[in-house]
Amino acid sequence: MVTAKVVIRNLTGLHLRPAGILCNKAILYKSRIQFRTDDATTANAKSVLSVLGACVKSGDEIEFICEGEDEQEALDSMIRVVEEGLGE
Amino acid sequence: MFKGTNASAGIGIGKAAIIKEEEMVIRPDKVASVETEVTRFRGALADTVAQTKALEETLATRVGQKEAEIMQGHLMLLADPMLTGEIEEAIKRDSVCSEYAIETTCTTYADVFAAMDDELMQQRATDMRDIKTRLQQVLQGIKPVDIASLPEGSIIVAKDLTPSMTAGINPANVTGIVTELGGKTSHSAILARALEIPAVVAVSNVMDKIADGDSIVLDGSEGIVIVKPTDQEMDEYTAKRESFLQEKKDLERFKGVPTVTKDGVHIELVANIGNPDDLAKVLEYDGEGVGLFRTEFLFMDRTSMPTEEEQFEAYKKVAEGLSGKPVIIRTLDIGGDKEIPYMGLAKDENPFLGYRAIRLCLDRKEDIYRPQLRALLRASAFGGIKIMIPMITCIDEIREAKALIEDIKNELDRKDIAYNKNIQIGIMVETAAASLMADVFAKEVDFFSIGTNDLTQYTMSVDRGNDKISYLYSTFNPAVLRSIRNVIKCGREAGIMVGMCGEAASDPLMIPLLLAFGLNEFSMSASAILKSRKMITGYSTEELLAVADKAMSFVTAKEVEAYMKEFVNQ
Repeated sequence: MVTAKVVIRNLTGLHLRPAGILCNKAILYKSRIQFRTDDATTANAKSVLSVLGACVKSGDEIEFICEGEDEQEALDSMIRVVEEGLGE
Repeated sequence: MFKGTNASAGIGIGKAAIIKEEEMVIRPDKVASVETEVTRFRGALADTVAQTKALEETLATRVGQKEAEIMQGHLMLLADPMLTGEIEEAIKRDSVCSEYAIETTCTTYADVFAAMDDELMQQRATDMRDIKTRLQQVLQGIKPVDIASLPEGSIIVAKDLTPSMTAGINPANVTGIVTELGGKTSHSAILARALEIPAVVAVSNVMDKIADGDSIVLDGSEGIVIVKPTDQEMDEYTAKRESFLQEKKDLERFKGVPTVTKDGVHIELVANIGNPDDLAKVLEYDGEGVGLFRTEFLFMDRTSMPTEEEQFEAYKKVAEGLSGKPVIIRTLDIGGDKEIPYMGLAKDENPFLGYRAIRLCLDRKEDIYRPQLRALLRASAFGGIKIMIPMITCIDEIREAKALIEDIKNELDRKDIAYNKNIQIGIMVETAAASLMADVFAKEVDFFSIGTNDLTQYTMSVDRGNDKISYLYSTFNPAVLRSIRNVIKCGREAGIMVGMCGEAASDPLMIPLLLAFGLNEFSMSASAILKSRKMITGYSTEELLAVADKAMSFVTAKEVEAYMKEFVNQ
């Protein structure tokens, strides 16, 4: 299992479009990909609904947790897609 | 006559077409084979996805890419493994039919979204319910309501319009929309405006009050619906519709026309905006730039301070979007009246006279003001950005802010970071002190912008939120007018630009006075720009001088207003 923290910089937080971009990236990997928010909610990064349900706002820090055969690759990719601004 | 929310401007006249989804009874029926039922669900899911894709294409070609995004959102939700997984799980666990499994699963999510304290998230609840209904309709073989084939002159009356219903609207046949639910920002309202169909939403119990085929008149500008209008009402609204359409056509003619008075005085006609998304409106209504970009939105509804980088991106976006036209950006104007937990602001006894705007920013240079000014300076390399400082009362504030800007400029020079070295710095003139000191302040800054909402409040010592004393809150009060005239005069004498970004700038009764006083720039909500341009280009400032003199000879707000009304209407 590998983990890393990243801050959400999108102006609108993790709303439908950014969440969709995040999920589209996550489903490319075999590993289980989750993230945890400040208030200890855990979300499944492969599910738009789960991501939306975590109600992540701009400026919030989230911690990705990846577990599986391609975990390191998955983690790097998730951090990158968030840092690139999720399509904004 | 029924009252609702005015969601899309214009007058609609026609026959009611009641749109009702066929009632579906969803019961927890047991199924014999869960495998067969899961297969049935997957088949319906595939059909629904195909339907949604078709709707997306229709919307993209008929309305616009932005509207089609609603359907792209639905596709994302339909593809969600958690949602489909839970539905299949429910079928297997309880041996129930797909319809019921969908009902419980989707409703749970819709309720969660509806309960969230965030308007965008609440709209996801509508999406979930829409998806639920479409999946169930496919399973039951029920055809979705066919709005596309409504006859000409139809006024749609519905409880609520789902995004998938609105996708089928043909603007050639639909002359109006009335709904029982919804708000100004709901899908149906946004779409109605994009299609320029008059709409009134949130009319309570309207489905019980209107029958299919009833004659209906609606006023989407005022939020009024009249069922079975009298001949007199019919004539009145037919005339109103004509004049609305005529005015719209008239105003179209003022797109691309320079804002110059009859005697050749060039006026800058610009827009007030609250976030980068408002740019589209500015361009649509042919704004000549932005006279007030409020930066508060960047700081609200979040849990930590926006970074310099985030701010830079937002400012740059607006500057680039207006390709070099002036963009006046106001630095943070916030105080104890706003809940921003991460700023740790104590509740002010008297927030409008308290610790706010420039007072707060100069006290918190390192964590608030410096990052904002740095972001503004960096963004100034990409367009016509000017910096505007709010709530100035004394010269020290101007000097201190300018010194900070100089300091940041030096730092940027050292690091070889690009910015506009001649960036203009101006102030809002909105306090009595600034107005009285305008001649002095004019020598310190590059421009003034008069904020009439606050200037009226502070000059008249009247809380603009208090109904009991609202009679005092008038920009036509001679005290306020004298103040405005003085500020403009001082600015002109010092050779700097004087603008106005309060509501008075687009008030048809105020515009002639402001032109006579010599105001250079009028900043207003984008939708008022063309109307104001039509007015301004019809006047000669020379001729208005006598009107202004006469107006200033009155001693009450009522007399001034009555006189201006008489002048404008003649």
